[in-house]
Parts: sequence; structure tokens; C-alpha cells
Amino acid sequence: MRPCSPNIQNYRPQLTSVLSIANRITALISTVALVAFVAWLVAAALGPVPYDALYALAASPIGRALLVIATFVFFLHLCGSIRHLFWDAVVGFELRSIYVSGWVAVAASIVLTAAAWLVGGFFKG
Amino acid sequence: MIIHSSNQVSRFRLLRRFPLPRGFGVLRESRIEPGRHWPAPAGAKRTKTFQIYRYDPESGRNPRLDTFEVDLDECGPMVLDALIWIKSNVDSSLTFRRSCREGVCGSCAMTLDGTNWLACTRFITEMTDPASVYPLANFPVIKDLVPDQTHALAQYSMIEPWLKASEPPPQQHERLQSVADRKRLDGYYECILCFCCTSGCPSHWWNGDRFLGPAVLLQAWRWLADSRDDAKGERLDALEDPFRLYRCHTILKCTRTCPKGLNPGKAIAEIKKMMLERTL
Repeated sequence: MRPCSPNIQNYRPQLTSVLSIANRITALISTVALVAFVAWLVAAALGPVPYDALYALAASPIGRALLVIATFVFFLHLCGSIRHLFWDAVVGFELRSIYVSGWVAVAASIVLTAAAWLVGGFFKG
Repeated sequence: MIIHSSNQVSRFRLLRRFPLPRGFGVLRESRIEPGRHWPAPAGAKRTKTFQIYRYDPESGRNPRLDTFEVDLDECGPMVLDALIWIKSNVDSSLTFRRSCREGVCGSCAMTLDGTNWLACTRFITEMTDPASVYPLANFPVIKDLVPDQTHALAQYSMIEPWLKASEPPPQQHERLQSVADRKRLDGYYECILCFCCTSGCPSHWWNGDRFLGPAVLLQAWRWLADSRDDAKGERLDALEDPFRLYRCHTILKCTRTCPKGLNPGKAIAEIKKMMLERTL
């Protein structure tokens, strides 16, 4: 049988392919994070004791780090998916637009993550 | 880094490949083994190292990666010139397709430094040192850098790439088009079927048996966009399938790699839009 020439083992990563696979991975992680969000609501419904326990877990350094990551992942998926909405309308297909919108999506998710945590901290008082 | 046109080589050289095991998803007969080293001829002053994929079907052995040192003072400026220099001066068994040497025929499409391009239109100076030369990604290999394009061409014939008119042509002249109608074919009729895009498409890597791939879908759009063609409904029916068309997830590596600067990603989006519009 003829050998197959290497594909992903040899092909150079580029913004297009990296953001595409990132959009899928972030969708997966966001779905898992949704379970944590539901757990938070359930704890709140169960009463102050379980809620405080879960809150302590979330406020721990690891908990905070995971929440920051989850926020970034959510925004990256949001921004990446907005690009797809434009593409579905056949807008922004020039190579330059593809790269500009890709980097804008990355930058916007970082800014939105920082903004979300700053605003969250502000409301916490 | 912002890429303006597909012929631009990225200056980002940190990640040569995705951080996956070398043998990830690779069948035993496709594993690449270390090959031999061919030193530069004595007296060569300016040399560049080329790592080239070799496979000899008659040896019964696995593919291997040979290293050639090319004398840049003795060969032309393009990667194809380096391959011809190797074939003439070092190893005459090096096998590759080439014809026009000016980016018109699409024969010398291969994976250069991990990106698909034509060997005749890529400057040696644009390549890293060592430069890597592989046959088109994800194609069965006949020998060395010659891929077997049977499957891709069969997929091309599936979209019936010819004019389907319901009426015979006029007696006095050819079938006429308005300037605006003719303009709709710009950016699509120029495709040379080198299959750089199809070979670089991850959707085609994983579902190539059923997904048609960017090159063929660009051709499909070329006929859908033609004002002289009367088989739009029939053509769309043939494409309306979870795999044939909709396995495209707009990754857009096709548009990044097209040596003719065409936009297969956009062509596929146009088909999806036309598919939606006909249900309205």
C-alpha cells in the first residue's frame, strides 16, 4: 500500500488553523464551565452553607485562576464565533481581513476578560 | 503578523509544526525514517541544506528523509531549480513533477517548509535552513515528491465541470455574457488544479473520502456563478450533503495557501449562501 504524505505532523501552524481549532476547544471548555455555573446556582438554591463552601472553593487561588481562564475561553469563543457569522454572510474573506479579524478576536478576548474582572471587582466593593 | 497576500512567507518561525507526537495518526507504512546525507560538491562556497522526502515503491522500505546540500552558485533562484540541480548533479533518482516552471501548470505543487506552494514560484531565499520539501500533504505517494491525485480528480469530475446549457448555442456567434456576468467568474476561473488548498485542508485530511475539498468546491462555484449555465438547481442538489459541502468549517487555510492568490474559502461561503437563498 502506498504511504500517505504527512499532514498535521508537517504542516506549519498559522493563525487561521490555530484559531479554528481554538474555537472548537473553547466551545468544549465553555460547555464544561457551564456545569460549574449550574453547580453555583444549585448551591445558591440549597442555602447558605453549601453556597459558602462553593464560594470558598471558587475564591481559592486555583479557583480564581480557573475562573479567569474560563472567562477568557468564553470570550475567545464568542469573538471567534462572531467572525464566523460575518463569513456566513460572505463578508471579510480577503486574506488581510481574515488576519486582521483573527488578531482583533484575540486582542478583544484579552481586553474583555480584563474588563469583566475589573467590573466584577468593582461591584464586589 | 498580518498576511496581505498568500505569497507572503510568515516571519513567525517559532512553531514549525503542531506540538503532536511524530507518529500521531500515522500508519506504519507512512512512518518516515532517517535517510542519507548528500554533501555539497567539493569547492562549493554558498550552500543550503534541503531535507527532502524520499519514497521508492520498488525498495519495499518506508519513506525516508534525505539531506542534500545544494550549491547555490550553480543553481537557479527557485526551489524547483534546486530540485533540478539535485537531480542533474547529485541523485538522478529524485522524482518530481514539473512542466511550465512559471506557476501556470500546477505540476510542482508540494509542501515547502510546511506550507503548500509551487516549487517553481518559491524563492530558495524564502526557505528556512534547512529547507523542508515534502510531497503534497495527505496524498498517497507514488514516488518521492509525486502524489497520487486520482481521488482528488475523481472528486473534480463529480461536480461535472462543464457548461450545461438548456438551449443550443446561437448560430451566428458564441454564447454571450454581459461584462458584469463575466466579472463574477474572476478569481475562480484562474484555478490551475494544483490541489495545494485541498491538500492543506484539515477537513479534507479527516473526511477526504466524502468532503469534496476546497479546489473542487471552488470549481463548483465557478459553474454555479456562470450566467450561461442552466443547471444551478441540479448542481446545488448534488452538493447539498452534510459531507460534500458542509464539512467545510471555514478554517481558511485554503485561501492562505493558494499559489494563484484565489479564494476557495470565499467560493465555498458563496455556495452555502446560494444554498440558503434558494430555500427562501
